[in-house]
Formats: sequence, structure tokens, C-alpha cells
Amino acid sequence: MDLLQGWNPGTILPNLLAWGGGAAEEAAHGAAEHGGKHEPGFGWKMLVVAIIIGLIMGLLTVARSGYKERVFKNPITQCAEQLFLFLQQLALGIIGKHGRKYLPMVATYWLFIFVSCIFGLFFDWTPTADLSLNLGLAITAIAYVQWEGIRTNGIAGHFGHFAGPKLGGIMVIVSGMIFLIEIISEAMKLLSLSLRLYGNIHGGHEVLLNLNQLGALNFGPHEAYIPLGGLLLPIKLLTCLVQALVFTLLFCVYIGLVTSHEEH
Amino acid sequence: MANHEAEAKSGNLAASLIGGLAVIGAGIAIQGFVETLKLGDLTINIGQSLSMAGVVILLFPVVKLFFTDPLGAAIHERNSQLEATFTDAENLRTEMQKMRSDYETKLTAAESKAREEIQTAIKDAQALRQTIMSEATERADELVKKAQAEIESEKAKLIVELRTKVVDLSLAAAEKVIGENMDTEKNRRLVQDFINNVEVAR
Repeated sequence: MDLLQGWNPGTILPNLLAWGGGAAEEAAHGAAEHGGKHEPGFGWKMLVVAIIIGLIMGLLTVARSGYKERVFKNPITQCAEQLFLFLQQLALGIIGKHGRKYLPMVATYWLFIFVSCIFGLFFDWTPTADLSLNLGLAITAIAYVQWEGIRTNGIAGHFGHFAGPKLGGIMVIVSGMIFLIEIISEAMKLLSLSLRLYGNIHGGHEVLLNLNQLGALNFGPHEAYIPLGGLLLPIKLLTCLVQALVFTLLFCVYIGLVTSHEEH
Repeated sequence: MANHEAEAKSGNLAASLIGGLAVIGAGIAIQGFVETLKLGDLTINIGQSLSMAGVVILLFPVVKLFFTDPLGAAIHERNSQLEATFTDAENLRTEMQKMRSDYETKLTAAESKAREEIQTAIKDAQALRQTIMSEATERADELVKKAQAEIESEKAKLIVELRTKVVDLSLAAAEKVIGENMDTEKNRRLVQDFINNVEVAR
């Protein structure tokens, strides 16, 4: 239970549709009390992650039940097929002909980020609004990219690319500088992937929270709550799609850069 | 060979050194990244990040097992079936076109044969008509000739009979006039000669 300490589960309430009660109070005063942050404990975070994975597995299981039909009639199976074809096209278009083998990884990122963001439309906290968890996603992505690069080009070949063109004599110093800059650049891809996702989703939550505070009403002992943040629902839904797409797109670009020599 | 092995060993050593340097460089960069975030009041819990990385690593085979592999196989199978169906349809179309071509060839041949047969039949009919007509003409000519011969025969017979009658009448008339029997052979011949002369003169 220590894991749950320091975080009020009452904040996991629909921040779009809640009226009155704890949510309104939280919306009106929560930011001041908690310094503007609603940071759940590690246990709650993992619980939410588990719920999201359960949702993904549930959807995939329902979709899988329709795979045996010649023509997919189940709407979830149809959606899964469209998603599969979209991601396959993305992987083949960006990575190249060998992009199909990276499809499971691409689909993993897309599904987790999209479902997490959709979850975040209804709840106060979601894994993609957490920088640490986003960094976890980015670490796996970059580690996988480096692994694939080493597997394709060999250790020397992969890291040799970081040094740029082969230079002789005193110019070796320039190669060393290029190597250092490339290493920093590779490490900064973690920042690029994690901070972008965090900024967009967390920023969306903050905007929504502030709009909801604008809609807080007091009627004597009763408190009401106009969910003005709900007006942002369409754009936040679009953000879910775009962020899932951007993460997977960048992952494909990184994979394509390190494995493009495979075709030659 | 020894040179190659030495080069390979030195290459591996260099690669290991480069890899080590890269890892150290990345570590320094990440440390710098974390420190920078702290300046911006953003904290990172590396333990939570690694837990999340573990979750992704666990989720990966699930997605592969439940989503990409079976759906990819299902789509591939469906595409294969579609290709087979299209191939069958194409084969059937080719076969149908061949059958149609054969049918048209046979139809043309049958029409040609029928036309030839009709032409032959027409020719035969015309020949038959010609034969029948010539036979009929011959027959008619024969009949006409026969009729004419009969007419001539009858005419001659009648003329002879008429002459005989005329002679008899003449003799009878002359007998009445002179009152004697003039039916002698000599008289008869005289009358007959007279009549013949008359006929010649006429």
C-alpha cells in the first residue's frame, strides 16, 4: 500500500463530464493544494497501465474472433484490419521492403499510446501524460533501434556511421567530434520521443483543467461544475491519433535510418 | 591467414572500444537530459521508466500473438483466395472465349456447308428441271408428230374414200343420164383418171 501513498484515487474521475462533488472541488482547489500536480503513486500508475493493457488485450481478443471469416463482419475486426493495413503501409513506406518485420513493434507503440490517450480523455491521469513512463516507451524504442542497427551493420559498422565519412590525419579529431555529436543526437531522441508525447498529452490535461475551473459555480452549500473542457474533446481525440502516429512514424524513421543498408 | 586473424581481432577490439565509448557518451547525454529536466521542474523516475520499458517488452509478444501475426495470416490467406478466385475466373473466361471461338468457327463452317449444299441442291434441281423440260419437249414433239401423221393418214384415207365416193356418184349420175350400167372397170378408171387430172390441175 506504500506504493499508493501520496495520491488520492478520487482524482481518477472523469474530468470532462464530472458535475459537483469531489471533482469540482479538485478542479477548483486541487491545483493550489498539490502545486498544480496530480501525481499518482507507482502502484496506481501500474494499475492504470494494467487496465490499459487489459483493454488492448480485450479489444485484440474480440478482433481475433473474427479473423476466421472470409469477409470480416465484426466491426472491431474491421477496425483492426484497417489499423493493420495502415501501419503496414506506414512501415513499408518509411522503412522499406523489409519494414513488415517491424510491424509488431510499431503496432505495440501505436496501440499503447492511442488507448492510453483515449483513456486520458475520461480520466485525470494517463501513462502518456507521465514523463517517466513516456521515457520508458522511448528507451525501448531507441534500444530496439540500436539493436537492429547493430544486428544489421555489426557493432563497428553501426557505430562507425556515427563518425561520418572516413577522414585521415589530423581530421580524425573532426571525426571524433562528429561521433560525439551523433551519440548525443541519438540520446536526445529519447527526449524527442518522450517529451513531445508528455507535453502534448499533459498540456492538453492542463488546458482542460483550467477550462473546467472557469466553469466552477457556487450555489450556496451546493457546488456545480460546467465541464467547459468538454469542448476540447474533438481536438483531444485528434491529438490521440496524431500523437500515436507521430511516435510510430518517428520510430519507423529511426529504424529506416539504421537498416536502410540492408537492402543494398 | 595470420594477418587476417590479427586484423579481425584488432577490428573487434576497436568495435568494442567504440561501443563502450558510445554507451558512456549516451549515459552522459541522458544524465545531462535528466538534469536539464530538473531545471525545468520536471522530474524523472528512472525506476518507473524501466518498469514501463518492461511493460512494453511484455506487451510486444502479446500484440504479435494476438494482432499482427494472426491478422497478417488471415489477410494473406484472404488475398491468396482472392488471387485464386481471380485466376479461376480468368481461366474460365479464357476457356469461355475459346469455346465461343470454336462455336463461331463451327457455326461458320456449318453455314458454309449449308450454303454449299443449298447451291448443290439448286444446281441439281436446275439440272433436273432442264432434263424434265427437254424430255417433255421431246415427248410433246413426238406427240405432235404422231398426231400430224395420224391426221395425214386420216386425211389421205378420207381423200381416197372421197374420191371413191365421187367416182361412184359420178358414175351413178352418168348412168342415170344415159340409162346404162356404166359400172365397168374401164369407166371407173376413166373417171378416176379424170379426177386425178383435176386434182393435179388444181
